[in-house]
Amino acid sequence: MLRIILLLASFSLVYGQAKLVTLPSKSPIVTFRIVFKTGAAADPAGKEGVATLTASMLSSSGTKAMTYKQILDAFYPMAVHVDDNTDKEMLTISASTHVDNLDAFYKIFRSMLLEPGWRAEDFERNRDDQINYLTTTLRGSNDEELGKEVLYNEIYSGRPYGHNNAGAVSALKAMTIADVQAFYAKHLTQSNLIIGIAGGYPSDFPARMKKDFEKLPKGKVVKEKALQPTSITATEIKLVEKKTRSVAMSFGYPIDVKRGSPDFAALLVAQCYLGQHRSSAGRLFVRMRGARGLNYGDYAYIEYFPQGMYRFEPAPNLARQQQIFQIWIRPVEPPNAHFALRLAIFELNKLIAEGIPEEDFAQTKSFLVKYASMLLKTKSAELGYAIDSAVYGIPRYDEYLKNSLAKLTRDDVTTAVRKHLRTNRMRIVIVGQDTQKLRHQLATEAPSPITYNSPKPQDILDEDKLVESWRVGVTADQVTVVPVDKVFE
Amino acid sequence: MKLLTGVLLLAASTLYAAGEQNKVFPFPYDQHDFPNGLRLITIPTDAQNIVALYIVVQTGSRNEVEPGKTGFAHLFEHMMFRGTKLFPATKYEGIMKQAGASSNAYTSDDLTVYHAAFAKADLDQIMLMEADRFQNLEYTEATIRTESLAVLGEYNKNSASPEVKLDEVISGTAFEKHTYKHTTMGYLKDVQDMPNQFAYSKQFFDRYYRPEFTTIIVAGDANPEKIREMVARHFSQWKRGSFQPAIPAEPAQTAPREAKVAWPSPTLPYVAVAFKSPAYSDTEKDSAALDLIADLAFAENADLYQRLVVNEQKVDRLDGSIANHVDPNLFAVTARVKKPADLESVRESILSTLNGFKDNLISAEKLDAVKKNKRYSFALRLDDPDRVAGIAARFVALKRTPDTINKRYELYSAVTPEDIRAAARKYFVESGRTIVTLTSGGAN
Repeated sequence: MLRIILLLASFSLVYGQAKLVTLPSKSPIVTFRIVFKTGAAADPAGKEGVATLTASMLSSSGTKAMTYKQILDAFYPMAVHVDDNTDKEMLTISASTHVDNLDAFYKIFRSMLLEPGWRAEDFERNRDDQINYLTTTLRGSNDEELGKEVLYNEIYSGRPYGHNNAGAVSALKAMTIADVQAFYAKHLTQSNLIIGIAGGYPSDFPARMKKDFEKLPKGKVVKEKALQPTSITATEIKLVEKKTRSVAMSFGYPIDVKRGSPDFAALLVAQCYLGQHRSSAGRLFVRMRGARGLNYGDYAYIEYFPQGMYRFEPAPNLARQQQIFQIWIRPVEPPNAHFALRLAIFELNKLIAEGIPEEDFAQTKSFLVKYASMLLKTKSAELGYAIDSAVYGIPRYDEYLKNSLAKLTRDDVTTAVRKHLRTNRMRIVIVGQDTQKLRHQLATEAPSPITYNSPKPQDILDEDKLVESWRVGVTADQVTVVPVDKVFE
Repeated sequence: MKLLTGVLLLAASTLYAAGEQNKVFPFPYDQHDFPNGLRLITIPTDAQNIVALYIVVQTGSRNEVEPGKTGFAHLFEHMMFRGTKLFPATKYEGIMKQAGASSNAYTSDDLTVYHAAFAKADLDQIMLMEADRFQNLEYTEATIRTESLAVLGEYNKNSASPEVKLDEVISGTAFEKHTYKHTTMGYLKDVQDMPNQFAYSKQFFDRYYRPEFTTIIVAGDANPEKIREMVARHFSQWKRGSFQPAIPAEPAQTAPREAKVAWPSPTLPYVAVAFKSPAYSDTEKDSAALDLIADLAFAENADLYQRLVVNEQKVDRLDGSIANHVDPNLFAVTARVKKPADLESVRESILSTLNGFKDNLISAEKLDAVKKNKRYSFALRLDDPDRVAGIAARFVALKRTPDTINKRYELYSAVTPEDIRAAARKYFVESGRTIVTLTSGGAN
């Protein structure tokens, strides 16, 4: 049974008090999610990446009493690993332990969070990891994630969301331990803290934890920042030039919809119909991959979904005040890039113009109600979603969706789609090689006919005639090229 | 005791012991062989209302024996979603969607797995559709020509990663004859030729999509008796095949091998050190001992990890592992090095660490910590039916029964410091070694 020791109404009002989210069960696994309501959006100017570095100085470093090596030695026989994840407005430290080892683990875990060691060697290692993540992992080995992350930077340029969660290379190179300590002191406070615990822990355990965490400063409830991006007045395309075989594309724009918003369920239905993540039933998948073999898959999103190439389900604890609508076109062969982009926009336009067919509407609603329960199938996920629900001020996620979807009509979806989605005023990011040629094609809106290796039905060929000249809606000055080594710099 | 009653009724079923404290795979499960060779394994867990369905075909890139056909097991995994007369792709997808099923498939060296998790009320309908596509898959030449482009798209998205390239070159260099020489994705030229392989694809289906290669796993809120009846109803008409794959044996390696990869984009350099290693076993200690060495030498608290990653900070990623395989494969160590100038010394450190296991006996205390880690790591992964079935599937690909899991963990318990030294002496030899480095530079 779900038990949230948390009064939603008091959630944002109680001053200087940690909140508890608890999910007791008979499971021999005990899961911790310690969430601070702060993150990369709170990085000061010139200190981009300090929130993430603070998190790794807690999860992957020594304490006052123990070196990192001593901690790893102690955790090793328990097979425990402490993870950190920093998003724009949530900083999460998580771990799972077998109940056999609960006390031994917690004693160290507590000191990692409350008595960090701030050793120079831990700082250097974690900072290098963060720089290498940006320069080698993101720029150098994953064109799809690269494109998606650049898209966020483009959309939120000049705003608190406008840099990667891992920061900027130049800021990281200039960062000091003092910067991290200052961030820790200011933002990792009881006011910002949500303690989440699930599994077969003793009944007095949450209260003990809460008392332990009173060691953190009470802090202030920081007022919401103005996070809205600058309004986008025209479509712009950023081409990221790198040596790579194929072309990865993402596009989107901010939406004024998040969990708890009146149109959330309606837009979720639209997103699911258009391109449920890794599902072969989505419209984009069926038309782009299934009918035409353009690439490995094409999906749509209304919430941040990092690591989409590895994960089937979204990670919890990425709650944000601002979300974007996004379409992800997986890498295509270079000659088909312009056509694939046009086809995705064409499908989005069709959704806006025609709405969702009746049969698909019923199927999609049924999918989402059942799928929401599947999302909560592990204790760790259930706990993560419970914390997110507390932050968004909604009931348990599956109940919330079930109730919202029950009332939803097809007209509601059409109305929400027309209100929030569009095919102009977008940001488009394209990662590829020899992008000058593509830039010229895009800027001149030149036709991009496609050829196939097998006969296609007439309806596809007819549709292709429309798609090959579909206007993306950009002029030469709205299409710019950036070398890959300049992004995240 | 419904479970026991069901078992007594059907002689071919075996009930494996329930929840003994010391069993790492704690679930009682029911294993049943049907007359056509199909095997069903039902694993009831305490999950409520949810079931995970995993269909394991013991066919992977290992079975791609003909030249020019690399990547075919994986292509076939894609083709399985192209529909039948009864359930064309759109109808299949519609029903899966209606069920809220989170479904997918993957292919590896030794297996192809089709999996989905959903509410138990939908199991009968989904089992019917699975039985239908395994027996009556139907597609045209135009379909395979289109679908093989999606496979090329998958190759393309993977090709951005230097680590994928590194793996490809390690296997390509270490093996001469065995099909482990090529990756599951296959060679680019073969992937590009897939549109022309309609006839071969039919032959591939006819050979391997047969009950004797297939095991169905159902985990979660599952009653073995009911599921046996359900599977019998849907799969009993499936005909046993006759194909016996002849996987070429790898000749003994006689000298160390080396390869260098020039990566076209900027990257930190990588070095990989691999040694030929034995096949997965639940009776012989060697592969278990090498698996423990991987942890002893390269886990986060290991001396080398501490030196290279934490203290000297020359390396930001260090992994060592022996992957469980049906045939002898590789013990491989990979390091991502921060400065190209350190590549040489990092390679030497890896080699001298492995050689150290040949000379010195490790302490019983260290070995004990690794064994504990193994057991707790395993236990921490068993937290929902999808994971339980997924883990069982990996082992089913090797020995066709989850029983091998507990046997293997008993084997870990029995490994002594002397066994560790003996395995190191036998396998960490120059004549079994392959070293690959990857550095930035060169044309795309």
